[in-house]
Amino acid sequence: MMFLSMLMLLSVAMHAQITVRGTVRSTEDGTEMQGVSVLVKGTTTGVFTDQNGAYTLRVADGNAVLVFKYYGYMTREVTVGDQTTVDVSLELDVQTTSEVVLIGYGTQKKKDLTGAVVAITSKDFIQGNLNTPEQLIAGKVAGVQITSNGGAPGAGSRIRIRGGASLNASNDPLIVIDGVPVDNNGISGAANPLSLINPNDIESFNILKDASATAIYGSRASNGVIIITTKKGRTGDKLAVNYNAVFSLAQRTGQIEVLSADEFREVVNERGNAAQKALLGNANTNWQDVIFRDAFSMDHNVSLTGATKTMPYRLSVGYLNQNGILKTSNMQRTSAALGLTPSFFDDHLRVDINLKGAYLNNFFADQGAIGSAVAFDPTQPVNVQNEFGGYFEWLDPSTGDPNQLAPRNPLGLLESRRDVSNVLRSIGNAQLDYRFHFLPDLRANLNVGYDISSGQGTRDIPANAAAAFARGGVDAEYDQSKINKTLDFYLNYARDIAAIDSRVDVMAGYSYQDFIRENTDIDLNLSTPADTFTNSYYKTQNTLVSFYGRLNYTFKGRYLLTFTLRQDGSSRFSPENRWGLFPSAAFAWRVVDEAFLRNSSVVSDLKVRLGYGVTGQQDVFSDYPYLPRYTPSENNAQYQFGNNFYQTLRPEGYDANIKWEQTETYNIGVDFGFAQNRITGSVDYYTRNTKDLLSVIPVPAGSNLTNQILTNVGNIENEGVEVTLNFVPVQREKLNFTFGANFTYNQNTITNLTKVADPTFPGILVGGISGGVGNTIQIHTVGFPTAAFFVYRQVYDETGMPVEGLYVDENGDGRITPDDRYRYKSPEPNYFVGASAQLIAGNFSAGFVLRGSIGNYMYNNINSNQGVYRNVTNASNFLANMTPSVLESGFSNNQFFSDYYIENASFLRLDNVTLGYNLGALLNGKLRAQVTAIGQNMLTITKYTGLDPEIAGGIDNNLYPRPRTLSLGINLTY
Amino acid sequence: MKSLFHKVCTIGVLAGGMFVASSCIGALDRVPFIEVTSATVYADANNYKLILAKLYAGLAVSGQQGPAGRPDISGIDEGFSTYLRQYWKAQELPTDEAVIGWNDGSLPDYHDMDWTSSNEFITAMYNRIYYQIGLCNEYIRETTDEKLAERGFDAAVVENIKLYRAEARFLRALSYWHALDMFGNVPFVTELDAVGSFLPERTTRGELFAYIESELKAIEAELAAPRSNEYGRADKAAAWMLLAKLYLNAEVYTGQAKYTEAVTECKKVIDAGFTLDAEYRTLFLTDNDQSDEIIFPVTFDGNRTKTWGGMTFLVHAPVGGSMNPAEFGINGGWSGLRTTKNLVNKFPAVGGGTQLVSPNEGNTANYTKIYVPGAHQGWDPATAPTLTSAAGDRTFEGYLWFEAGTEFKFTDGPAWDVNYGDNGADGTLEPGGANLKVTDAGFYKLNVNLNDLLVTVEKTSWGLIGSATADQWNSDQDMTYDAAEQAWVITAPLTVGEIKFRSNDAWSLNYGDGGADGILERDGANIAIPNAGTYLIKLYLDKPDYTYSIEIPSFDTRAMFYTQGQNLEIADIFAFTDGYAITKYRNVSSTGVVGSDSEGNFPDTDFPMFRLGDVYLMYAEAVLRGGAGGSLADALGYVNQLRRRAYGDNSGDLTELTLDIVLDERSRELYWEAHRRTDLIRFGKFTSDSYLWPWKGGIAPGRGVEAFRSLFPIPASDLVANPNLQQNPGY
Repeated sequence: MMFLSMLMLLSVAMHAQITVRGTVRSTEDGTEMQGVSVLVKGTTTGVFTDQNGAYTLRVADGNAVLVFKYYGYMTREVTVGDQTTVDVSLELDVQTTSEVVLIGYGTQKKKDLTGAVVAITSKDFIQGNLNTPEQLIAGKVAGVQITSNGGAPGAGSRIRIRGGASLNASNDPLIVIDGVPVDNNGISGAANPLSLINPNDIESFNILKDASATAIYGSRASNGVIIITTKKGRTGDKLAVNYNAVFSLAQRTGQIEVLSADEFREVVNERGNAAQKALLGNANTNWQDVIFRDAFSMDHNVSLTGATKTMPYRLSVGYLNQNGILKTSNMQRTSAALGLTPSFFDDHLRVDINLKGAYLNNFFADQGAIGSAVAFDPTQPVNVQNEFGGYFEWLDPSTGDPNQLAPRNPLGLLESRRDVSNVLRSIGNAQLDYRFHFLPDLRANLNVGYDISSGQGTRDIPANAAAAFARGGVDAEYDQSKINKTLDFYLNYARDIAAIDSRVDVMAGYSYQDFIRENTDIDLNLSTPADTFTNSYYKTQNTLVSFYGRLNYTFKGRYLLTFTLRQDGSSRFSPENRWGLFPSAAFAWRVVDEAFLRNSSVVSDLKVRLGYGVTGQQDVFSDYPYLPRYTPSENNAQYQFGNNFYQTLRPEGYDANIKWEQTETYNIGVDFGFAQNRITGSVDYYTRNTKDLLSVIPVPAGSNLTNQILTNVGNIENEGVEVTLNFVPVQREKLNFTFGANFTYNQNTITNLTKVADPTFPGILVGGISGGVGNTIQIHTVGFPTAAFFVYRQVYDETGMPVEGLYVDENGDGRITPDDRYRYKSPEPNYFVGASAQLIAGNFSAGFVLRGSIGNYMYNNINSNQGVYRNVTNASNFLANMTPSVLESGFSNNQFFSDYYIENASFLRLDNVTLGYNLGALLNGKLRAQVTAIGQNMLTITKYTGLDPEIAGGIDNNLYPRPRTLSLGINLTY
Repeated sequence: MKSLFHKVCTIGVLAGGMFVASSCIGALDRVPFIEVTSATVYADANNYKLILAKLYAGLAVSGQQGPAGRPDISGIDEGFSTYLRQYWKAQELPTDEAVIGWNDGSLPDYHDMDWTSSNEFITAMYNRIYYQIGLCNEYIRETTDEKLAERGFDAAVVENIKLYRAEARFLRALSYWHALDMFGNVPFVTELDAVGSFLPERTTRGELFAYIESELKAIEAELAAPRSNEYGRADKAAAWMLLAKLYLNAEVYTGQAKYTEAVTECKKVIDAGFTLDAEYRTLFLTDNDQSDEIIFPVTFDGNRTKTWGGMTFLVHAPVGGSMNPAEFGINGGWSGLRTTKNLVNKFPAVGGGTQLVSPNEGNTANYTKIYVPGAHQGWDPATAPTLTSAAGDRTFEGYLWFEAGTEFKFTDGPAWDVNYGDNGADGTLEPGGANLKVTDAGFYKLNVNLNDLLVTVEKTSWGLIGSATADQWNSDQDMTYDAAEQAWVITAPLTVGEIKFRSNDAWSLNYGDGGADGILERDGANIAIPNAGTYLIKLYLDKPDYTYSIEIPSFDTRAMFYTQGQNLEIADIFAFTDGYAITKYRNVSSTGVVGSDSEGNFPDTDFPMFRLGDVYLMYAEAVLRGGAGGSLADALGYVNQLRRRAYGDNSGDLTELTLDIVLDERSRELYWEAHRRTDLIRFGKFTSDSYLWPWKGGIAPGRGVEAFRSLFPIPASDLVANPNLQQNPGY
């Protein structure tokens, strides 16, 4: 709005006598600022600075005062006096940097917020070799835990806002991109659905944490909401071309410890029988060196930003080519984004059109190679002469075919497999915001959007490769399409009522969202082409219809009340249970605006927030859980009557009464600022109680058409504290230092799990591990955190060695039975922290991001599975390597359930280090350039003995290692 | 004009919004694209058979996608979740018939017999039973006469559906029998209970027994006549068989014996026209769908009925060690299942049958020799038989058969250059001397000493003596000379013990086998006979390393053990090579054709759930236990029919029956067919210390366990879900 009115000012006739010129720069990095409004105080005379930050203006005389204004910066006033050149530097306004925050179906000034909302804009994003948007803010926000799923190209992350609210339903937050709530379930052929969104196009993240903020999203808000906006052009912009490139080199940070070839020989010669000794080879192979590589990646982005008369625009294209450190893994992404933000009818109708598209080409490596590399005999060579592609393989001596029980040659797994996919995703919306001509306080907003994706992939393994020898090769393909549609319409009325010193802002709306997914899976039988292993097709749909409203009431500018109400209807539930009502209320008191603080030189900001809200959860993975359905079987699950085979029809278990899961949240928060906001921060305390948990529980046997069903039972409590602090110790034109830290405490406890109260109920086993079939290591139990480890207490001898198979008899019945397992620690941290700092000194800039978590434990499944002599002594016709854990434990057989393998995985990680140099203006000021060197995953401090202490879920089982990445970034603006 | 435009705009926006809002609420009534709802599925007469197929498939596969992907039950690895695999494990792993070498969860607890109520495999078995019952209830509920009438099908269609319904009731009775047998006092749900989260009532063993009996009696008339239904579907004989099993175990279930009823039902099955297959082994091969013996199978197919449980488990899991997977028609073994020595020792002889000891060729070719040309072979030294000197000290020995009056000489080489005779038949050799001569026909031992030029010629006649023979160490069992075989042979019944070979009924010349290497030594060690049986024994003295063979010409072909590289004793349950492997189930046909799955994963072999061989033994047992309406003579005849098939002749015939013999015969005939746990309980040998096997109770020599373990515990998960239930005593 400000820019529009400024534009109009330009047409005003000028009668001034003095011509003043100058350049406006930013104190932050000294760059020239385009689009700063320069206004002669008390008049309507003014101009914008051009792309070089320059302006020219006529003033009446030397008494004229120039007012320099730019969004997000402190306004400066300069008296002209006898100067004809007035150069100024504008200082960042810490308080108003993110002054306007997106809150769902609208915006709010940060100072007027009543809920726990955090906004992060692009200047605070993490830099480097990032291929997926959520990594831009990892470690930056209190209460938000982002754990990447390993180092594979495009790998996704587990995002948890204030811990999980659910047991079996999704714990992922709702993500809204440019007004379109996006489908965050997987896309076939993409490691991560968010990897189809180019992080370079993102302008801001707005994270809604408490229910008073999220309840406007009702049934999908229990796990928080992340609202993402993309970069856009601005009215008055001249065409600017920006080129950004990042070149990266990724390397392993270490390796999973295994016995060396010599150590392995020693064990085999000491413990093996003659036949096993005879299997030893003469080579000396480090299999992890064989499968990993140094990986080079590059990311190029070009954007054009500008505006025609009424049409600001931004067009960008990007190309990412990322190689993974596991050989053959690769992802290429070509993306394009177009944003148009025109306005019409004297700015009464504003239009916001965003189109984003990305095309992804993946080559997925067989990650089973990592486990194979750990287990493979290091005395064997990589290559030999044979009919299985020339890779050394363990053969069955009776048949000469690959031994079905032995690990496969790790390199063979990688090189013989061609697993590729092409994925297309487009997200787009058109938002029309109309301010009524006869009643400008009333706005109508219509937003229509879509999120469509299509993923195809093929998986080929030749028939002679050991990996698929038994099934005669692999020739499989899959195809998925998703069409998700969104329509939102709301009316907003906002008015100041001076008579009672109040402001009222009311909004009411309607939303419709529809999700359709189709899948085809074909697995051809290469040896008998007439048959297929699998040939299946599935299609499913669900729809959400919602009505919502919000009332913001402000009294005296410092007492703020917010009420929201949303009614959601989900097609996933029966007509009786379909509709859910999600209210919230919040109150904020801007203490700083009270008379006793208004002029304080110490306290520059102080606000207290109280919030309450109810949110829901309906993402239950099945679209028809309440309907009695019959599903046909595939061709390979038929039954024979006579000489005919019949595809069967199976009645599905169902819960006709299934309904919403509900989470109640209470939040108390304080926002504060001291010393002109050189020190700012906030503290929040919250509790979240989820009831009617959507849990999978055993049905009373015989009472349903299944043995376990998803139904509403159980309660979970979360309690936590979040602290955010920001310091600006130095803030000068050429020297600026900012430091931010955040701290989160979260504790979750299951308070009920059964329909019929039963204190003897041991709980629900979860956490499947490698080794054996169907073994689990965790349990949900009432009174304990979710997924606590469920293990035996190991007994040690006087030398401190664990005694194999001997555990503490917890229940004292004289025997060691599964009832002697106890609940020990949790994979979720009680505390996690993030810290970042940014220093700007002249043209140099430097920064780092630290992340840590405390109190999270890990089950070392690699050691429990591979750290046993059984790998040698029980092997027939093949040998398997061991981790050095076996030298310490001396275990002959697997002791999967011993607490010996539960380790403290607290860690502190230097996640990101940047060093930048601003080359300033080149080519007569037409080109500005900046180079940045970035290091990611530089250092990890931990007691955990495995490769990486940060694994979502707490079970370490051959994670794709996160590499250390060194990058060089170049940014050119023309 | 402008304001009118604005007003139209405004109204348009508002009206449009309202229209969209109201029209989209109906969009919440989404119905599946692929699945059908129960509202429509029963309107189509064709669907009834497909749902019936699911009830049968519930015994075989794990879900709607083979081999895995869309499971029926959850909470356990899908491969482990199939009905047959769980039933087999529950019936076999806690017994002397099977051990499994896998460290999966609490799987080892089955054989250790220390399971708890949270054992996931027992829970999966229980869940499978009630899943099956739930599906059957739903089907029976949807196929009542009233509902069929409402749907307006024509009479022929209705008749078909009624037959399906009777089969669904049979399948429900089968699963309830499993619940009765394994879990005792269990939840009780029928078609009268609608689907939903109600709490089923607990029933007692006695009530459940009566219910199953009444159900089977009720459908007896409705089911298809024996052997008239489509293959794979239950008929009257299946119901009779189940009734017979119910009655045979009635004393265990209710404390009240019903052996007469058991005899009656067995006779109905026996009279229904089933016949024993000619060969035992073919019952467990891919073409066992052609069997006339199998009464009720669970069917599998390499391409169309795929699962990681069922027969895939039973064919793969017993293969390991040095076994060749190709011989089983599969791509690899899973190195899991073996058996204990208790089962092995129930067979008189083991080892694939025929050759217990093979002739050992020794070092014959390396010995120095002289030649014995003569009338017996045409006086040609080049082709003459030889005597050899094992020590190389120019003293030679050998055995030869001479006809009466045969003359001969010795030559030092295959030519006449240097030859010896015995002038004067005085035992002293002379170069170029006169021919030697025997008067009688016989098998002669010849010893020549060329250092001192001495010769002895001794006629021998051989026999068998020892503790394993009929007259112990007292007298010889004479052997006869087989000229074609050039060996002394005897076929003799032997008991467990020792033997030696002896000449001329005297100890002066006897052979034993020191080192048990198949080479005989004079005055050597006794030869052990580990098992009783009828043996064919051959003594080879025609070559200088004297050897012998012990064969079992007639043996029990049901002893399908793989012993090479396997230890009979089980030192470590997790080591596949401890315990003999079993080769019963294979994915090859009776003619050796490999099954249809080109991957070699999924067998075509069907599981013989009920078969005539079982009925014969049940009949015999019921009669022995006092059931009326049968005869001991018939019982013996039926058992001997099984034994004649096993032996190929009447050499294995029994002359009398006792209950213990019947139990042992059941394990010989029916091992690894999921009967053993029930059988041992009926004979009081499951938990007690009166019968032990390796690692029973978790210790190597075995020990008795608590009597309450004859029932499995009600799973903890169901006790929590259903407060109407009570835990079985002891748990």
